[in-house]
Amino acid sequence: MKNAHDPSLAVMDLPRRDARDKLRGRTRYTVDQAGPEVLHAVLLRATVASARITRLDVTPALTMEGVHAIATHGDAPGLHGIGIADHPIFASDIVRYHGEPLAVIAAETLAQARRAADAVIVEYEAMPPVLTLQAALAPDARLVHPGWEGYEVLHPGATRGGNIAWEARVDRGDTDAAFARDDVTIVEGTYDVGRQNHLSFEPRAVIASYEDGRFHIQTSTQAPWTVKHVVARVLEVPESAVRVIVPAVGGGFGLKFDCSLEPYAAILARKSGRTVSLVNSRREEMMTCLCRENAEIHIRSAIDAEGEIVAREASVLMDCGAYGGEQVFLTTMTAHTLAGNYRLGAAKIVTRAVYTNTPPNGAFRACNGVYNTFALERHTDEICKAIGMDPITFRRRNVIGDGDIGATGQTFQGDVLAPMLDRMIDKYPVERRSGRLPDGRLYGRATTVGTWFIFVGPSAATVNLNADGSATLVTAGVEIGSGTMMQSLPQIVAANLGIHPDAVIVKTADTDAAGRDLGVGGGRTTVSIGAASEAACAEVREKLLTVAARLLQTNTAALVLTNGRVEIDGKPGSGMTLKSVIAEAELTTGPIAGSGAFTAPGTTAMPGCATGHFIDAIDIPVFAVHDCEVAVDEISGRCEILSYRVVQDVGRALNRRAIHRQIQGGVVQGIGYALTEEVTIGPDGAVGQTGLESYRVPLAGDVLPIDFELYEGAPSLGPLGTKGAGEVPILNVAASLACAIANATGKQVTSLPMTPERIATLIAGEARYSVPPLT
Amino acid sequence: MTVSFTLNGRARSFSGDPRASLLEVLRDTYRLTGAKEVCGEGFCGACMVRIDGHPATACLVPMGTLEGSDLRTIEGIGTEEELNPVQQAFVDFDVVQCGMCFPGMVMTLTHFMKDNPQPTREDVKSALTGNICRCTGYERIIDAVMSLSGAAQPVTEAQP
Repeated sequence: MKNAHDPSLAVMDLPRRDARDKLRGRTRYTVDQAGPEVLHAVLLRATVASARITRLDVTPALTMEGVHAIATHGDAPGLHGIGIADHPIFASDIVRYHGEPLAVIAAETLAQARRAADAVIVEYEAMPPVLTLQAALAPDARLVHPGWEGYEVLHPGATRGGNIAWEARVDRGDTDAAFARDDVTIVEGTYDVGRQNHLSFEPRAVIASYEDGRFHIQTSTQAPWTVKHVVARVLEVPESAVRVIVPAVGGGFGLKFDCSLEPYAAILARKSGRTVSLVNSRREEMMTCLCRENAEIHIRSAIDAEGEIVAREASVLMDCGAYGGEQVFLTTMTAHTLAGNYRLGAAKIVTRAVYTNTPPNGAFRACNGVYNTFALERHTDEICKAIGMDPITFRRRNVIGDGDIGATGQTFQGDVLAPMLDRMIDKYPVERRSGRLPDGRLYGRATTVGTWFIFVGPSAATVNLNADGSATLVTAGVEIGSGTMMQSLPQIVAANLGIHPDAVIVKTADTDAAGRDLGVGGGRTTVSIGAASEAACAEVREKLLTVAARLLQTNTAALVLTNGRVEIDGKPGSGMTLKSVIAEAELTTGPIAGSGAFTAPGTTAMPGCATGHFIDAIDIPVFAVHDCEVAVDEISGRCEILSYRVVQDVGRALNRRAIHRQIQGGVVQGIGYALTEEVTIGPDGAVGQTGLESYRVPLAGDVLPIDFELYEGAPSLGPLGTKGAGEVPILNVAASLACAIANATGKQVTSLPMTPERIATLIAGEARYSVPPLT
Repeated sequence: MTVSFTLNGRARSFSGDPRASLLEVLRDTYRLTGAKEVCGEGFCGACMVRIDGHPATACLVPMGTLEGSDLRTIEGIGTEEELNPVQQAFVDFDVVQCGMCFPGMVMTLTHFMKDNPQPTREDVKSALTGNICRCTGYERIIDAVMSLSGAAQPVTEAQP
């Protein structure tokens, strides 16, 4: 049969099928589901960052009007985590962060639940909190987890100890020897970045019931199977006793890639016998968001006379907050981001996730990558300055290309970054990188490169062929707004079955119906769920063509699926409709369905190069080249972005409009991260930004149209040659803006966010405005 | 206290706490969930409704102030068969993402376009000061709105 990967078989640029209801206010997100029959729950949260709980008495609340159930540590003593099981869902005797849950209460109204929470008696014996990375790593630092050695290790192999929750290392070649050479230039830099709040418009929210001995959880999540696993673990019930379903999700950006509120609602549902709704208030979302972590990066490189990077050493400290959470996993990313982009003669990279008494951090779009790319690209420009080489020439010479060895020793395939750089510079030749504009402001321009990758891993799909010739795709995929479930997945299934995407029904996640899936994130949905869907379609096709070949008295190799028909190849109109083949199948073999699966293809690192990593080598790299021009006002420090351009490696663009949306939205989210979004933590350990008045995300007036080019044709294992396109647009934004601001001001930009105050201080060259340190 | 008003063309009366916000009453009492509670402080515009023809953030309006008002929510805009022009432009330009901000965007921009049928891009951006979106980066929304004044047509995406 005709190759299903033939581009002519795919319907491109499919419009979203969920747009009309979303525009009419009809779409019911989890926050919209709670009708009058449900109980409303609130969490009682700690108001201190570090303390021993000396008394927690819920009895006054139990008898209050409307109260149905209360749960505390004793109801769910299990520990969960990624890499290390260090996290109880309720504080037991120790409070480790401001906002940590102590109890959860379900009542008939939210007001009743809040009143009951106020009536719970809590007494603390305060302990001095460890609030910063420096404090946590000081020789005499108090341990956030004195019992760290006793925790169950879920992923062996990493070094841990004290306030270091996890350490990932890359060791390839002899960096000491390289740095000791007398013919190298050594360049060194230190960078620090703050936290970023996702501010997904739908907060974390869940509705749970307990029926027939099982927990039924409807939730706003990106990872239904993770929720199922963690709920079962902390409630100490079999995973099969937990069902997770997911309606439309009102934004994720990584925030909802881990389990969060679900276990609390599940416990209350069982205790009360009622359906229970638990929704974080915006204030709770601001104060306990699993933010992109604050971090400190130190890089040191040895460059030879030809401009080759003969060695690189780096250390990255990631603040995981009070529990290890996703940061433990994300230490892995440094090898592929900070140690990405360029060929390195030798590499020694250490990444540590560090415990502090602050709200736990988590995953956020291009986790770890955005700040490591910021540090790496700023460092790269410093190298160029030190050795007197043009920054494009240096990058052109050193970027990873076909056959090059990555930091952990994997071999990359294809020249991608270099031609992408050429495309950017051919389109926008560099006339100058700094200068003064006629209006007196400082002008800066920069071009940066970035390396990201598709988070592959297990996905399962089932395709049922229906009697009317339509197909139903069943996966644990979730529509978080990117449009993957609305556009690329039906496009992929349709292309494989020769039907129109409108005839593909896409079921959203229900763990009782769909197989295991790692979740929607990491740019993996189109690739991983798409590949599993393609495999399921292959089985459907095989069955379908076998029946059709018998009816048409030919062999399956002579048949093609197109326009809802089976045709003899090259003879349009010679075959029959899918409906007739399906009807025949129902009489002979039964209804047609197929199942498919996908997981990590298993690219390997060099033995011994990567320690403590969850991903030693990347299966599907994704590259990006960004370029921007800025105008900086010397007095106010305000930075205006004059132009922003993206060349993005997409493998193959199945839906240009959907990718355009992701590039525009992702770059703007990166602009917020780079310039205005600031999270501070006070001496009490509480996040200072409790709402949108103090947390400044980009408004319409702050943004500009992003110019973009899609780079197609790079190698990809993804279905129809695709790569995920939603995560990577944010990757180089802070890097590009920082490099452009550095060029404009002639100063080393080393901290994010680059608020006007910081830029003005940088230009003034003195502490004329004291910026509180990020903690 | 009973407050009588018109909601999407239907006469309604509300008996309850006059301090309750219009947003919670719409969502909890009438189960009109198109207006979203996102910030609850009037910054984000996700709960935008029309009160006597003017856009207002429902989270900041107490029920007790609404006697005799004519209220319209996103559920009262457009029909299944025919979207209003702003909604249709958003469909045509494929700008919707998570969708949480769009009911408010539609309310704000529908009113804005009535008063400003030939806006500049800057005018539209200015009108969106009180509507935040976390997904789209706004510019595609502006493109769609600009098409309504004939200033720009949907970008025809290249077919491979």
